[in-house]
Amino acid sequence: MEYILSLLIWSPILSGIFILFYKKDNFLLDLYNILINFVIFLFSLFLLFNYNNNIPDFQFIEKVRWIPSFNINYFLGVDSISILLILLNTIIFLIVALYNSTLLIKKRNQYYASFLIANGLTIGVFSALDAILFYIFFEALLIPMFLIIGIWGGLNRIYASIKFFIYTFLGSILLLISFLYINSSISSFSVDLFYKSSFSLEEQEWLFLAMAIAFAIKIPMFPFHTWLPDAHVEAPTSGSVVLAAILLKVGAYGFIRYVIPVVPLGAQSLDLYFIFLSLVAIVYVGIVAISQNDMKKLIAYSSISHMGFVTLGFFIIFQLFDNTESSKDLVISLSGSMYQIISHGFVSAALFICVGSIYDRFKTKKISDLSGLLNKMPIYSWFFVFFALANCGLPGTSSFVGELLIIISAFKANYIYAFLASTTLIISAVYSLWLVKRVIFGEIKVEMKECIDASFLEKILLFTMAIIVLILGFYPDFIVSFMNESLKVMSNNIILKI
Amino acid sequence: MIAEITINSLVNFSPEILLFLMAMIILMAGIYKFSEKYVFHLAVFSIIFAFFLGFQNYSSESILIFNESIIKSEVTDLFKFLCYFLFLIQILVSRNYLKNKNLISGEFYSLLTFALIGCLIIISSNNLIVLFLGIELSSLSLYSLIALNRSSFLSSEAAVKYFVLSTIASGIILFGFSYLYGITGTLFIDDIAKFSLSNETSNLYLFSYVLIFIGVAFKFAVAPFHMWLPDVYEGAPLPVTNFIASIPKIAFFVLAYRFLYSNPIISDENFSSLLLLLGVFSILIGNLYALAQKKIMRMLAYSGVANAGFIFLAIFSAFANNFSIAAFYIITYSLATVSAISLITFISSRKFDLIYIKDFKGLSVKSGYISVLFMITLLSTAGIPLTVGFYAKYIILDALVNRDFIITAVIVVLFTVIGLYYYLRIIWFMFFEEDSNSLLNIKGKLSLLILTIIPAAILLMFLFPDILLDHIFRILT
Repeated sequence: MEYILSLLIWSPILSGIFILFYKKDNFLLDLYNILINFVIFLFSLFLLFNYNNNIPDFQFIEKVRWIPSFNINYFLGVDSISILLILLNTIIFLIVALYNSTLLIKKRNQYYASFLIANGLTIGVFSALDAILFYIFFEALLIPMFLIIGIWGGLNRIYASIKFFIYTFLGSILLLISFLYINSSISSFSVDLFYKSSFSLEEQEWLFLAMAIAFAIKIPMFPFHTWLPDAHVEAPTSGSVVLAAILLKVGAYGFIRYVIPVVPLGAQSLDLYFIFLSLVAIVYVGIVAISQNDMKKLIAYSSISHMGFVTLGFFIIFQLFDNTESSKDLVISLSGSMYQIISHGFVSAALFICVGSIYDRFKTKKISDLSGLLNKMPIYSWFFVFFALANCGLPGTSSFVGELLIIISAFKANYIYAFLASTTLIISAVYSLWLVKRVIFGEIKVEMKECIDASFLEKILLFTMAIIVLILGFYPDFIVSFMNESLKVMSNNIILKI
Repeated sequence: MIAEITINSLVNFSPEILLFLMAMIILMAGIYKFSEKYVFHLAVFSIIFAFFLGFQNYSSESILIFNESIIKSEVTDLFKFLCYFLFLIQILVSRNYLKNKNLISGEFYSLLTFALIGCLIIISSNNLIVLFLGIELSSLSLYSLIALNRSSFLSSEAAVKYFVLSTIASGIILFGFSYLYGITGTLFIDDIAKFSLSNETSNLYLFSYVLIFIGVAFKFAVAPFHMWLPDVYEGAPLPVTNFIASIPKIAFFVLAYRFLYSNPIISDENFSSLLLLLGVFSILIGNLYALAQKKIMRMLAYSGVANAGFIFLAIFSAFANNFSIAAFYIITYSLATVSAISLITFISSRKFDLIYIKDFKGLSVKSGYISVLFMITLLSTAGIPLTVGFYAKYIILDALVNRDFIITAVIVVLFTVIGLYYYLRIIWFMFFEEDSNSLLNIKGKLSLLILTIIPAAILLMFLFPDILLDHIFRILT
């Protein structure tokens, strides 16, 4: 299986194009879609089991000269970070495919095609080792998401989709210029040579700013976050799931793969600003989330707040290193961020599916329109409460591990960061529990009398995700030790250059 | 000089000669009221035959014919083939449109062929006089073609506007030529380059080049010389717009290339900053004005202004005689433009004219296929990955960054992002809106097949850009 990565990227894209020509809307379409996503999931499992964790380097490498005139190669390869993200990606898309088969959707084949193509492109983003190839996947990913929000979204979908597209495009085009600049001095686009490049401090600062803005928009960091609540509110449920669980992670992946190891000096000299912005995201955006009346918006703001933790974990490493001089602490901080990424992928996906189910039943996402769901939908309510608690980082759930690791590292860097970051435990508890109180508990409203509990498929999906969240929460060592080697290599790279 | 016309010259110039004869025959057929069918087939046949002749005479060495006043090389052949190809697509898709608007006639095809010949002469001339004749031949044919729809007020207005401004531009170019001849004492463009290599160049020399390039900027519609373009796009019949938007631009690019190739003027600070300023200003104006447009053709016109700016930037960044960037850009841009205007021609070739951008509403409900083709075309014009337009913008940015013009690159890029909005707006109208206009034409299997060619090429060239790029790099550097 030498070409497993190409297979992973291109099989969903090609089957997505193929599905466009199947115009009938019947169960075969659903079956085909689920089957393809399942096969891709199996491929990614194959990747996981065949990855040799003792070799701390990129594996499953495919390198073909693609456009020699511009030094661009078709260069793919994965380390353990990429593999975890690819696995997250394939699981989420499988869940989305299963969830979609229960819905009434217009132009069903096009809907499925968009998701399949987005699936392949995201795997491309996570496995590209050539900067331009990465950029192409990164940018092309916008098109299916743009169409998903724009065609199948809510009332204000056009505003949201255009804002999403232009905002992200603005960032990524600065990224392209930075890549071109790096290429002009080392005449290569491969990541391993990017890591070996050396620029002066001033150059690194500019490069860092240009690249960081691109990924800060994608992740999104305060104050570049305004597109996300709009996009989430207007996107269809499965679109929101993919947006929260996968697309935000693309931004985080960009930071850890292309920004911090490539221009660590620039990151070091500007890290205070980014730590500040991360803390603002954690505290301020968390408070903003409390006051939301739209459930999707609330979860969107809570996502931004959680992503603040991820960026905090990335940017405290320089101060950590100044204080402790050991690469071990860097690895802990980075693996905290990675853990947060994966955990948030499942928790937010589950929460969006919960909200989607409510929306399908009552055609509303407004918290003030809902009350007392527990009386009519006990099983559904159980899951809703579970994921709301997972969202606020209850010990035993996956979110706790990531937040704990980051807060521990923050303590070693500067106790003020740790103090501010810890306030999230209160703030997120406030918005999550208050949401539960208003939606799940209380008296049922008259117009909500007619409703059914979670369907069989919903139960299965939510149960699976709950199990994953619990496993990740109780047994984090599996993932932390799996990432360990790659993160060690990465932090040694960073230390060497600062 | 004694006119010495050898067989060799005639053979190597046979495609143009054939087209000229056929244009005459088509004109005659028009006078004697031949059926439209014959005229159309004659035009198609002549262009295919010209293509075939050009292919027969293809050779990798460059030769001078007709007393060195015509040049034939791989560069001219490449661009001529491109012109034949685009011209063929244009006349194939325009037939139904012309028939339904009662515009079809022998003159249309013969004048359009004359305009094409003019452009071919611009591409291949090595002599200032021949060059000017080529410019005039194409311009004169286009004046009357724009006014083809005599009952339309907009059409007449566009024709007058184009006539006045284009004549001024030709005058400026001629003025520049006269200075150039006065300084160098030669009419041959390759000798001018040799002269400037061996002699110290004066300010007057620079002045003549500035005049010529202001004329070129007129024809390219680079801001601030773009005023005629929106009106012509809007007023001219769509098949004529299709021609104006693509083939003269290719021809004038080759003219610019011929004047700058191995000429030290390109590295002259004043001259290159003129190109840079015009380019950046044009990108700025084009993108901002396009945002405000309500009519699709005016929007495409301003998008054309922005793209012309990119071509000027590409010419600016052509240090060390590297014109391949600009050549690649003009090829991808002309392909995308012809595709876009052809699609609009096809859609509005029944009762309904697609004039406003909002007419695109719900097109995907009527025909998802055409919407996808149009989307690919627009994305290519905007320079988004998965289309070849991405590389076109990419290499220009690459060249600018390599020359340390990073601020310029950032400015250009920011305005492209602003411009993205008007492309996205069409995509949103096509895909995100439900109510569709029932009068839009979406029938015609053969036309659909022809319209698929360019979008398919755009996607294929994205996957394998090296086939074209290698060729261009080899012949242009």
